[in-house]
Amino acid sequence: MEHKPVVLVEGLHKRFGAAHVLRGIDLAVESSRVVCVIGPSGSGKSTLLRCMAFLDRYDEGRVFIEGRLLGYREVDGRRVPDSDRNIDSVRSVIGMVFQHYNLWPHKTALGNVTEALRVVKRLSRREAEAIGMETLAKVGMEEKANAYPARLSGGQQQRNAIARALAMRPHVMYFDEPTSALDPELVGEVLEVMQELAGEGMTMVVVTHEMGFAAHVADEVVFMDEGEVIERGSPDDVFKRPRSERLREFLDTWRARTI
Amino acid sequence: MDFSGVISNHYGAFLAGAGMTVTVSVVSIAAGMFLGLWLSFGLISRNRPIRLPSAAYRSFWRGTPILVQLLIIFYLLPEIGLDVPPVAAAMIALTMNTAAFQAEIFRGGLLSIRPGQVEAARMLGIGMPAIRVRILIPQMMRLVLPALVNETISILKNSSLISVIAVTELMRTSQQVVSVTYRPLEAYTVAALIYLAMNLVLARAGAWFERRYAAAR
Repeated sequence: MEHKPVVLVEGLHKRFGAAHVLRGIDLAVESSRVVCVIGPSGSGKSTLLRCMAFLDRYDEGRVFIEGRLLGYREVDGRRVPDSDRNIDSVRSVIGMVFQHYNLWPHKTALGNVTEALRVVKRLSRREAEAIGMETLAKVGMEEKANAYPARLSGGQQQRNAIARALAMRPHVMYFDEPTSALDPELVGEVLEVMQELAGEGMTMVVVTHEMGFAAHVADEVVFMDEGEVIERGSPDDVFKRPRSERLREFLDTWRARTI
Repeated sequence: MDFSGVISNHYGAFLAGAGMTVTVSVVSIAAGMFLGLWLSFGLISRNRPIRLPSAAYRSFWRGTPILVQLLIIFYLLPEIGLDVPPVAAAMIALTMNTAAFQAEIFRGGLLSIRPGQVEAARMLGIGMPAIRVRILIPQMMRLVLPALVNETISILKNSSLISVIAVTELMRTSQQVVSVTYRPLEAYTVAALIYLAMNLVLARAGAWFERRYAAAR
């Protein structure tokens, strides 16, 4: 069988008007690997993740999910936007977790998890709730199943959002700064869940400011600045032996802040 | 002053008139809600061929007086071969009018829902129709409930205008009572009190819904 990475990004460019936000990004995420993307604010790392999910359209280059092109179709060598149906189909193996959780406030913790199981997978209420409870238990939220998001702490909301994505059995999980909106004392419980997932062999792409998490959990760390990948390698390479001035500066600022 | 005479001799007519007022208003608000929901999504559509006609419709029906709209509909329908009774013309005009106002109310509610909620749903593979029905509309309805009660009160009061095309609702009923009793002050005061009573019931119902939804959060 031909080997294919779960996610493959080739020569990705993205512009917002005059701003050239991504300038030729290449990335391959192999099965069961954890890739952490770090970099200063505005470096394009969140945009990269959003383009990899086609929440933002990319202008040039390609994103393949398990070998299938995401977002576009090629017709006679020309590229045309794909139908929503095809995009949904290619995307169905991706689970995404957002900085601001994006839970639906009118649904309970369990309701948030079962919604897509009911609507997309068309499971019965019973089946959906069984999977929902199982998934909530996995993130330590089974006791909060009937609570509405407004009654949950930020950490609980984010774990709820992780459960919502996991319930659809994704092959790869994207995390877009999952702890950046959290109070410091709530960061740990979310990182713990993510570390557990990584331990179970989940393929993950994590855009993060948590250098400790990247250092301990990542198989590969990618450092971005101004829309380009400046350095990439093992956590040891990137954190202990930075080669570029920009990465050294970035790590210095970060260390100065955390002491 | 002879309130008791006006009321005791004509209460049946007043009740029938009030019944017509309620019927026309309820039908218009309900049909206008259905139309207004479609229109509100048209107003926020990224697709210009959908957005521009939606905005034009909204601007026309919001920017001209109900009385004028009513008369245009009333005289237009027979011109295009639709021979409908005045009450149908009244319902059509009020529906078209409230649809524009409700669409604006809904649009405001939709804009206050964070787009991240839609993105999360899209990433889970939930299609736009289901997102609208199951995620956006339920939240939006709670947000706009007070404004919607306002609009309902507004339509109930403005339904008095349909008396000019000979629909025997509460206003026209009181005019008829005046023409037989020569007691305009009493008859119109009775009409005013009936309008007020209906609207107070509406406001209470709205407050009840608001409390109920607040508790569910």
